[in-house]
Amino acid sequence: MIKLQNVSKIYRTKTIETVALNNINLEIAEGEFLSVMGPSGCGKSTMLNIMGLIDEPSEGSISIGPNTIKDYNGKPIAKFRNENLGFIFQSFHLINDLSVIDNVELPLLYRSGINGKERRAMAEEALTKVGLKNRMKHFPGQLSGGQKQRVAIARAIVGKPSIILADEPTGNLDSVMGNEIMDILLDLNQNDKTTIIMVTHDETMARKTNRLVRLFDGSQVS
Amino acid sequence: MLKNYFTLAIKVLSRRKFFTFISLFGISFTLMILMLITAFFQTELGGQAPLGKKDQLVYLDYITTFKQFQDTIPEVDSTMIDGVMRYDTTGYRYEDSGRSISRGPGSIKFWNTHMMDIPFVKSRTIYMSRQSFDIFINSNKLTFSSTFTDGDFFNIYNFKFLAGAPFGNQQLDNQAQVVVLNKEACKSYFGISEGNFEEAIGKEVKLDRKNYEVVGVVDRVNNSFGFLKSDVFIPYTNAAPEVLNRERFNGSFSATFLAESANKTKKVKEELVKRSKVIPLPNPEQHDQLEYFPATLEERYAWTIMGMDKPEECYKYAIGALVFLLTLFFMLPTLNLINLNISRIMERSSEIGVRKAFGAHSGNILFQFVFENIILTFIGGVIGFILAYLLLNTINGSNFLNGTILSFNYQVFIYSFLICLGFGILSGFLPAWRMSRVHIVNAIKNNQL
Ligand SMILES: Nc1ncnc2c1ncn2[C@@H]1O[C@H](COP(=O)(O)OP(=O)(O)OP(=O)(O)O)[C@@H](O)[C@H]1O
Ligand SMILES: [Mg+2]
Repeated sequence: MIKLQNVSKIYRTKTIETVALNNINLEIAEGEFLSVMGPSGCGKSTMLNIMGLIDEPSEGSISIGPNTIKDYNGKPIAKFRNENLGFIFQSFHLINDLSVIDNVELPLLYRSGINGKERRAMAEEALTKVGLKNRMKHFPGQLSGGQKQRVAIARAIVGKPSIILADEPTGNLDSVMGNEIMDILLDLNQNDKTTIIMVTHDETMARKTNRLVRLFDGSQVS
Repeated sequence: MLKNYFTLAIKVLSRRKFFTFISLFGISFTLMILMLITAFFQTELGGQAPLGKKDQLVYLDYITTFKQFQDTIPEVDSTMIDGVMRYDTTGYRYEDSGRSISRGPGSIKFWNTHMMDIPFVKSRTIYMSRQSFDIFINSNKLTFSSTFTDGDFFNIYNFKFLAGAPFGNQQLDNQAQVVVLNKEACKSYFGISEGNFEEAIGKEVKLDRKNYEVVGVVDRVNNSFGFLKSDVFIPYTNAAPEVLNRERFNGSFSATFLAESANKTKKVKEELVKRSKVIPLPNPEQHDQLEYFPATLEERYAWTIMGMDKPEECYKYAIGALVFLLTLFFMLPTLNLINLNISRIMERSSEIGVRKAFGAHSGNILFQFVFENIILTFIGGVIGFILAYLLLNTINGSNFLNGTILSFNYQVFIYSFLICLGFGILSGFLPAWRMSRVHIVNAIKNNQL
């Protein structure tokens, strides 16, 4: 479903050149649950962002289904992101001026044919899934780290995307909470056939997934 | 979606109080000042009575008579011929050495012998507004300003008569001792209350030991034109003999010409200037040239403010200055908004990135920020409206402009508001457009959420 071909990402500044990704070839099948591991700074987030079409590779190409991505800025790709991709960022990135429920509704705002009532209902459903329905009217500033993480997950799943890209979704949580989140993701993968790519530092979490990719210094090592 | 943006906008604006305050201040202050300026000009030049025919009027307030003196200066030409200096003393040079000049209103003789029958002129009035009368009623002293004029004055200036009628040229010729009073003068002289001005008609007013019969009472005049705001209007044949019999051109009367139609004023001005070239001066050994600069109402207005010789030039300068000031005034909120918007939108870079990651396209982002600015401008407009309204009422109530009443011009308010809105949209559009094109990851990493 997602295919990276010879993908490299190089950051150039005046003095140094950082190779964040080096010639990655990777194919992810539909419905797969893939975990990505590797030491800090090895390029995991970079790879995830490129797969999620929010970053462009310096070299190589990425195709989703039959389409090779060329234009990263137009309306069609925005529509594609909206309908098919759900992000869980490493540091949440909730909008502080919006309430929890409004944050969760955000992806639905850009989808046509859904009215306010339906949006609210879908957002409530997503929040129920992550166990935060009672915090709907709160603002992100009033939540703990784990709660923010769960709001971010609700936002990622509210639009029922076919691919979820999760950057350390359990990194900020204790093991009980982490397992609950993991169960949500596993459930989405098994019952809704959602393709999931998850970056993690936790071997036990990684072991629950279909496949594990290890990165080291920008290169795939297994 | 709109409701969503609206609540977010309100939230953002109330969180960033300083930004909001500065922006709102800029917008509302600009609107208020603009409303004040237009209200002022509306009152002065808007064509309210008695200036109903304002577009047909040509003014001649001042005439200038002068003589150019020339000195004859002998010239000495020196040349060297055969080693000997030769001096040629037969040449002369002429040089302007000075001007004898007299400038001011004209005499009755000047107006009535030389300034009649100007082509394209339908009617003409002359008036003198220099004299004031002290009046004692029950040991109270009143001072009445006066305008000595003719019957045509009331044809050209459509005063609103509250009672009676104007005097005509018949009464002027008969030296009839009649007077038109303005409302305030009528009240203070006769103690008549509002609405009963008919009672004054036929009564007598004593000015300088002469009795005048009241033939009309006119409503208050709302502009700053002195000769229209006088307390009493008297046929000029009642003026002092030295005023009536003055032989020289310089005197105490100014003139207003009523052109046949508004588009003939230019022609009237040209004909007037033509006339100045052919009028023989009474004592050429003293003054042998006549010069004056006819003006339209607006030109005359600029001239009274700026005091330069030529009203047309005054008008050009005044318009230039006004345009400059208005531009400055519109730039105040615009620059302010652009500046604040740039930092405000940069600060929300991460939000923009997140929205785009979840499917917003550049158009969505643009719309959101422009919408926020529209709301901001709208609130500014409402505050500006209230401020302008309060300010005009305060000015009107405080008698600050000498009884001039300023009225609120809704049309101008709408236009100014639309201009502000345009700038609001533009000032939000530019930074938002730039931000909407930043790569998503870079926008998100600009991590301020
Ligand atoms: N905008 C950038 N400019 C320059 N270098 C960058 C930029 N973004 C990332 N890098 C570099 O690219 C490399 C990979 O970064 P990345 O964020 O993908 O690491 P990571 O594997 O996600 O690490 P972590 O586990 O700490 O999140 C790092 O060395 C980082 O310094
Ligand atoms: Mg990372």
